[in-house]
Amino acid sequence: MFKKLFNKDKDIILKAAMTGKIIPIEEVPDPVFAGKMIGDGIAIEPTEGILVAPIDAEVVAVFPTKHAIGLKTKDGVEIILHIGIETVGMKGEGFECFVQVGDIVKEGQKLVTFDIDLIKEKASSIISPILITNTKDMKSIEKSAGNITKGIDTILTVKK
Amino acid sequence: MIKKDLTVKAEEGIHARPASMITNTCQKFNCNVKMEKGEKVIDAKSILGVMMLSAKKGDVIAVITDGDDEVEALQAIETLFEKDFE
Repeated sequence: MFKKLFNKDKDIILKAAMTGKIIPIEEVPDPVFAGKMIGDGIAIEPTEGILVAPIDAEVVAVFPTKHAIGLKTKDGVEIILHIGIETVGMKGEGFECFVQVGDIVKEGQKLVTFDIDLIKEKASSIISPILITNTKDMKSIEKSAGNITKGIDTILTVKK
Repeated sequence: MIKKDLTVKAEEGIHARPASMITNTCQKFNCNVKMEKGEKVIDAKSILGVMMLSAKKGDVIAVITDGDDEVEALQAIETLFEKDFE
């Protein structure tokens, strides 16, 4: 019991940021993401155009085109949520953002809504990477698989 | 310590891919690298930090390198900016 109390390797759990299906990061159709140059994690092929916070965190970055959000948890886990691939070229069209830099968000809170059909038409893919960017500060990252529902299913379990 | 202002010329600003190029380049050097835009100062070896700048085309970013290989590091970053992160 005490061992558990003093166990520093507390699990940091990220819940599904979208409803859909988990795609392994190595299978994302973009070498920058697949090669883990931005971070390690999973990607989601969404069936619904809503992005929610995977964990309680501070919003530290909202890209001007609203297709990418950066979060930082109080444990120091840095997260990038990137909607679709090559969506930067859409210049914000089809995206609506509900948060701004400095906001403290709760797990499951709506961050961005997006038009799946428009992204499929105008960008190269709807597959959306959810990544831990400061992986070298983490001991391990365990990845889930399968179909997921936003705010309910676990996608990543991180040990720091 | 050296400092140089660089202008973002890339059409899409510094989004995920350019940010990863900046961070991966900076990590090859020993020196500290900071980037400054307005009141924001970030550690360029952190990709989330670079993305926090939310830099758009036309923005001017001050790059500050500090350490034994500061000249080479600044040169490498300047080259990325000049090539529009292609």
